[in-house]
Amino acid sequence: MVAQKITIEPVTRIEGHAKVTIRLDDAGKVEHAYLHVNEFRGFEKFCEGRMVFEMPNITPRICGICPVSHHLASSKAGDAVMGAPAPRPAQLLRELMHMGQIVQSHGMHFFELAGPDLLLGFDSDPATRNVVGLLQANPELTVKAVNLRKWGQEIIATLGGRRIHPVFSVPGGVNKALKKEEREAILAGYDDAIATIKIGLDIIKGWAQANVEDINKFGVFPTGYFGLVDPENALELYDGQIRLLGSDGKQLEKFEPSHYLDYIAEHVENWSYLKFPYYKKLGYPKGVYRVGPLGRLNIAEKITTPLANEELKKFKAMNNGKPVENTLHYHYARMIECLYAAEHVKDLLDDPDIFSTDILNTCHNPQPEGVGVIEAPRGTLIHHYWADEHGKIEKVNLIVSTGHNNWAMCEAVDSVAKTYITGPNITEGLLNRVEAAVRAHDPCLSCSTHAVGQMPIIIEVRDTQDNLVQTISRD
Amino acid sequence: MKTLFLGYGNIDRQDDGVAWHLLCEVMRRLNYPPPQDPEGEMPIIMGDFTFDFQLQLMPEIANDLGGYDRICLMDAHTGNVPNEVNIEHVNPSYQSSPFTHHMTAGTLLSLCEVIHHHIPETILVSVRGYEFLFTRSLSAATADLIDPAAEQIINWVK
Repeated sequence: MVAQKITIEPVTRIEGHAKVTIRLDDAGKVEHAYLHVNEFRGFEKFCEGRMVFEMPNITPRICGICPVSHHLASSKAGDAVMGAPAPRPAQLLRELMHMGQIVQSHGMHFFELAGPDLLLGFDSDPATRNVVGLLQANPELTVKAVNLRKWGQEIIATLGGRRIHPVFSVPGGVNKALKKEEREAILAGYDDAIATIKIGLDIIKGWAQANVEDINKFGVFPTGYFGLVDPENALELYDGQIRLLGSDGKQLEKFEPSHYLDYIAEHVENWSYLKFPYYKKLGYPKGVYRVGPLGRLNIAEKITTPLANEELKKFKAMNNGKPVENTLHYHYARMIECLYAAEHVKDLLDDPDIFSTDILNTCHNPQPEGVGVIEAPRGTLIHHYWADEHGKIEKVNLIVSTGHNNWAMCEAVDSVAKTYITGPNITEGLLNRVEAAVRAHDPCLSCSTHAVGQMPIIIEVRDTQDNLVQTISRD
Repeated sequence: MKTLFLGYGNIDRQDDGVAWHLLCEVMRRLNYPPPQDPEGEMPIIMGDFTFDFQLQLMPEIANDLGGYDRICLMDAHTGNVPNEVNIEHVNPSYQSSPFTHHMTAGTLLSLCEVIHHHIPETILVSVRGYEFLFTRSLSAATADLIDPAAEQIINWVK
């Protein structure tokens, strides 16, 4: 047969956003598959000339998917540029908002995006392999899942003070203290949140037991692992040092986030606008690493909350303490982090400083540059600002979470395509597995908000001369 | 008939926020004062009409849809939709993407159907966006589409 190219291309609001291309050889086997991003928004240039204190308000507006992560990372960079570390009560409140973000994002991803594949099967009818099918199969669970997300969203809205683009965190601290009734309102949803997350964990563990064969051949490959940890190498999502482990689980580096440029560089491929970060000392691609839930649980030696820590032990036991390499275990790791975030909400609300009004440091000691790093739901997010003596931004460097995972997503797509697509008869279920390889990483490639109407998946089968041989689409 | 007018989009990304401008025009034509601040208190309830603006569609919105007989969703679109002002009836249907946490109107209505056992009569009015820079002002081309879009919505309401 003639070698063919298959393209999976969702049509998004910004056209030509990203696509998956699968190229078959003459024998119908996958020669290569990759994920490529066709357009880059370039918001770093837009920020030049703005004042550093504006950045926590500007950067969340770039993307409607994960604004809180940008809001907090930007504030931390601003703390550094203005030489105004935030007081402890402000750090607690920022972290509380961040935990709300983790719960709502991870909860939504697991139950509404990935859940249908896991619970209803990759090969199930696409008409029902979705959150609606899940709802029909288990209405009570889906309502719980929606309420879990809502709880996380309400934590954000409570602290942020308004519904859209809350203005809460600023360089030097935050602008609003927590009231007692607000604390009670958040706590009121705590037990249900924990219960729902535990259901999610039971689901993923049960699914993992029943699908061992798939898990062990679905995008399993070695990489490094990268993210924040606390001084004792416990999981850390808000602040800490960056830890980088090699594929053998041995520590390669542990460093202050502000020194990231000493350790990370970015490789460019001519078929994608999204760069490929890597660990300099090992070069590209040997130095590639994964971030996000799988990366974080591989670099963490423990979790400071009890329920999540017990789950971490089970997670690490899957590969006898060595890094867990299976792409599908991103989902398991994600739910463990969701559990940690929910438990940590209660820790923060029980902290004696949580009602303090010492929330803003107004003593400034301007610095020429500053770095703010946070663990967004998807992975390590870096905001780096250079500013003049008046605080006007001269240069911005942003490395978003999905960027760190770029190589891993490409590798997962390639690996899954080669494993499951073995001939010219390409079913919808097979293509769904390739999508699932991307979906496991929970990527955010959008610097807009959403798409309108339908988002058809178009698969083009092309020969090596780029002639269209076949079109498969999902409306 | 209880009717919800729900616009959504990123008002800071130029034409992506066209739904806000359209929502305000619809309110004016129905003789209600439009809100000044898209980030202010919402929804606004005026008798049987509710007006709301969100950054994006989210699953929890489905919880609130059960009490409506009719829903008018408002959004922007790019060139993948041929009409400059496009109006379509929305049926419950699901779509997913591997890339972002996005939700379609059809998916939202699906959730509403299963949660509430009720499908409000729903239309999606989308307006062509041409520019998506970092500003709250619409491009001239998209701004010109507000009036015809609002007129069609008013005709549907009446």
